[in-house]
Amino acid sequence: MIVLALTAGAAEITVWHAYRGAEQDALVEAVGAFDAQSPHTVRLVEIPFGAYASKLETAIPRGNGPDLFIASHDNLGKWTTMGLVEPLSVAPEGHLAAALDAVTLQGTVWGQPLAYKSVLMLYDPSRVDHAPTTTDELIAMARAQTVDGRYGLAWEASEPYFHAGLMHAFGARALEPEGGAKLDTPEHAAAMAFSRRLAIDEGIAPAQPTGALIGQLYDEDRVTFVFSGPWFTADRGRAIAAAPLPVVSATGRPMAPYLTVEAVYEVPGAAEGSGELAAFLARGEGARIRSEKGGQAVSDVDITSSDPLLRTLAEQAKSAVPMPSDPDVANAFEALARSLRAVQRGTSTPEQGARDAQVYYDILSRPLPPEADPRPWFALVGLLVVGALGWLGLQLRDAALRARVVAHARDYLWILPAGLSISVLVVLPFVTGAAVSLFAHKGGEWRFVGLANFLDIALARDWPVTSPLSFVFTLGVTLLWTSANVALHVSLGMALALLLREPWVRLRGVWRALLIVPWAVPNYITALIWKGLFHAQFGAVNALLGLVLFRGGPVELDWFASFSTAFCANLVTNTWLGFPFMMVVTLGALQAIPRELEEAAEVDGAGRWFAFRHVTWPMLKPALLPAVVLGSVWTFNMFNVIYLVSGGEPNSSTEILISEAYRWAFSRGNRYGYAAAYAVMIFGVLLVYSRTANRLVGEKVI
Amino acid sequence: MATLSFRALRKSYDQTLVLHHVDVEVGDGEYLVLVGPSGCGKSTLLRCIAGLEEISAGELWIGDRRVDPLPPRERNVAMVFQSYALYPHMTVRENMGFALRVQKRPAAEIEQAVLEAARMLELEPLLDRYPSQMSGGQRQRVAMGRAIVRRPDVFLFDEPLSNLDASLRHHMRVELKRLHRRLATTIVHVTHDQVEALTLADRILVLNAGVVQQFGSPRELYDRPANTFVAQFIGSPSMNLLPGSGSGGEVRIDGVDGTLPLDRDGAFTLGVRPTDLVVKGEAAAGLAGTVDVVESLGAEALVHIQLGPHAVVAQMPEPTPFSAGDSVRVGVGVVHAFHTDSGLRL
Repeated sequence: MIVLALTAGAAEITVWHAYRGAEQDALVEAVGAFDAQSPHTVRLVEIPFGAYASKLETAIPRGNGPDLFIASHDNLGKWTTMGLVEPLSVAPEGHLAAALDAVTLQGTVWGQPLAYKSVLMLYDPSRVDHAPTTTDELIAMARAQTVDGRYGLAWEASEPYFHAGLMHAFGARALEPEGGAKLDTPEHAAAMAFSRRLAIDEGIAPAQPTGALIGQLYDEDRVTFVFSGPWFTADRGRAIAAAPLPVVSATGRPMAPYLTVEAVYEVPGAAEGSGELAAFLARGEGARIRSEKGGQAVSDVDITSSDPLLRTLAEQAKSAVPMPSDPDVANAFEALARSLRAVQRGTSTPEQGARDAQVYYDILSRPLPPEADPRPWFALVGLLVVGALGWLGLQLRDAALRARVVAHARDYLWILPAGLSISVLVVLPFVTGAAVSLFAHKGGEWRFVGLANFLDIALARDWPVTSPLSFVFTLGVTLLWTSANVALHVSLGMALALLLREPWVRLRGVWRALLIVPWAVPNYITALIWKGLFHAQFGAVNALLGLVLFRGGPVELDWFASFSTAFCANLVTNTWLGFPFMMVVTLGALQAIPRELEEAAEVDGAGRWFAFRHVTWPMLKPALLPAVVLGSVWTFNMFNVIYLVSGGEPNSSTEILISEAYRWAFSRGNRYGYAAAYAVMIFGVLLVYSRTANRLVGEKVI
Repeated sequence: MATLSFRALRKSYDQTLVLHHVDVEVGDGEYLVLVGPSGCGKSTLLRCIAGLEEISAGELWIGDRRVDPLPPRERNVAMVFQSYALYPHMTVRENMGFALRVQKRPAAEIEQAVLEAARMLELEPLLDRYPSQMSGGQRQRVAMGRAIVRRPDVFLFDEPLSNLDASLRHHMRVELKRLHRRLATTIVHVTHDQVEALTLADRILVLNAGVVQQFGSPRELYDRPANTFVAQFIGSPSMNLLPGSGSGGEVRIDGVDGTLPLDRDGAFTLGVRPTDLVVKGEAAAGLAGTVDVVESLGAEALVHIQLGPHAVVAQMPEPTPFSAGDSVRVGVGVVHAFHTDSGLRL
């Protein structure tokens, strides 16, 4: 009875988060402090980071979600339209203005800000004793540091997130306050021009660095200044100091990076006390614990950390701009990234880059096709179902068939597990995918559009056929990609298999095992290694070319700047991955060919080529054809190599159909319906291809 | 058409010598049979002629050309493989015309040559079949035809009859003989069957463990075998060998009662062909023995006789008066004498 009385006024509050390590420990302690002074009990649930967003978006609308959840604010726009969050029940106060701004949408504050992050200037204190305060000073200092294979400055210049500091300093922005983006502006052009000057023209920075490469350079004492966030300081092998980003000398304004805010949000129908818990965690005691124990840059204005990094972050936050939480920002970023890469490579001027960014943004954010009338579709589906049922009924009127079905009732039981697996793993996703292709999706909004996606794709309604975005263009690239690969795989694999049979080859088993290794290594690892090998400055391919062609002179060929070289890089990688399969198939097929046939041809006067062409090849062909069909289907859909090696560069021209479908689904505004229509069309192409190939093989036409 | 000569030819794999010093001249148009037990090196020698194996030392000449440095295709020899090695994806016509097609001869000439060979081998109705649609005997003839179309200097046959059944083999043996007479081309034929060797060959080369045992006409080999190996290998049933020792016009056999009236002194190996054993009743003179088994072959019988510790076989016309268990005396007709240790003919 006593227990009941106690629980009547108290509620259990469930909190979801994705914190790990010290941050998680600090959260647990802060929640403990709340527990001690409140009648309510708190249950903390840690959700793996990778599944966090999708878990929130599926669980909360079904009522299985938490009362509070902690997340970064950049998806807030989507979540408010989806109704995942409620306006706060306890108003936040005493927070950094920029942090509050970040969680405010249309005048409503949606979350209690907990902590924030932004890019700042990190530098090697053993190299320089102070950080520059202007870009002119930075350039001068960095130049002095760029000696003996060292670099003065490194940052991911073509990533819009890292470019934001310069962009804002030149008065440009990703999204307009009233919605939409204006990228074709002199401000954007000026920011891109300055970014190119800093990253390329001054000769103080490495080309196209990734985050991992910058970390490695820093640890090897090969770079002095880095534009990056607090995460970069973790696990560094060398001492590192932080300072606010410098003032851009040309405009007199400071570089203003994006501020991302971690906040705690209330879910509709949250338990009693949730609002108090959120406020407790965000300010005062809760904030102090998180700052001291968790090392978080908390937004509570009354807390001053003694950690120099957190103090620098607090200072940087004053000039930082809240990261837009409108889902449309992804489109602006995608468009900016494309132009930034082109400008860095010199394939586009800054002005042209700004114009192209606008064009590309307009494509990505183009409105959904008009809503279609679903009734004819319902009628069609209904007709199909009725037809199928009617046909089944007609069949079952045959008594003999009925008797057979009854007699074999147990047999159906045996195939049930396999049938169920196939239904769940193959049929269901296929039908779902096909159904999705009849819808259009943008920013959480679904709309039935009938065949509009297919018509848009097939007729290239939104851009010219010659654009790399058009289906026809990509199909052409895919066919070129597939045929070039299969030709190389077969010829190389077959040549090696024939070579391995030569009597003078020693250690045959060792060679065979070694040559299968490329096949045994997971292909994404191989793809990443080749991507590194093709790096313009640090790649082994360029180093080797320099050694061979220019006796050690430097070659800085940017493999991903033009279609032909980028396509070659992809081709080389996939050939490396693909020839072992054809070699193994050929070796197997050769075993079935008696050696005496080739000897007979030799005695009959045939040279090696004639004997191969007229005796060995005709007997290999039947065994190789199914492998070629299989290999071409794999290559047609070889997503990993395209995505990881060229990434579609330059300007999506090396994308193949499957990677293009991925782009539309996941990096060009979540147009799931459009991507699904792509997938259905890929299925159609491959269906026609494999049916034709099988028929030709069956009829011995080829 | 050409002569074929092996000059001090040797062949070894790594450290193993598989052919010791083959030094043989084969005349133009001669039918040479290489015979010996399996693993004796006869197929290796054939493949050396074809160029499918390199020789390790010595020289190989076809006519006035030294061919051992040449690849197979420049030697102008034609080979019939034991498995026939027909190209499975080509018709009989294409198989037979292959060598001419390699030489880029005009289509009409190829067709003419194929038809001629097909007529010779009665293959005309089969010209458009694939190898998989034919019987073993038919395939054998196609393989022959493919060789004939070439008109080579030398034919090489690697156990061509071994995959045929007994009656077909006999038939093809006769065919081969006829073919050789008609083509008058040098033939080297490998077999392990001494009957094939005796019936087909102009001359026979007997090999054992890579060493030439004897080279001569079938008659020479049968009448004057060079050693006990040839003596036992040629002729069926094999020659009986007995350890003998003679003195004063009498020869005794170890462990056997009775003597043979032969004029040879000292220990030697006595060789007697089954047809030269004379079996008589118990009362007669000769070696004492007991009949073990009698095999009747219709016109003739093989009588297996136990002479003390030695088993011998006598061949005689049916009906034979002897049956198992009879005590007999054995005399001899033509005898061969071999050195006890080396086995060489004395």
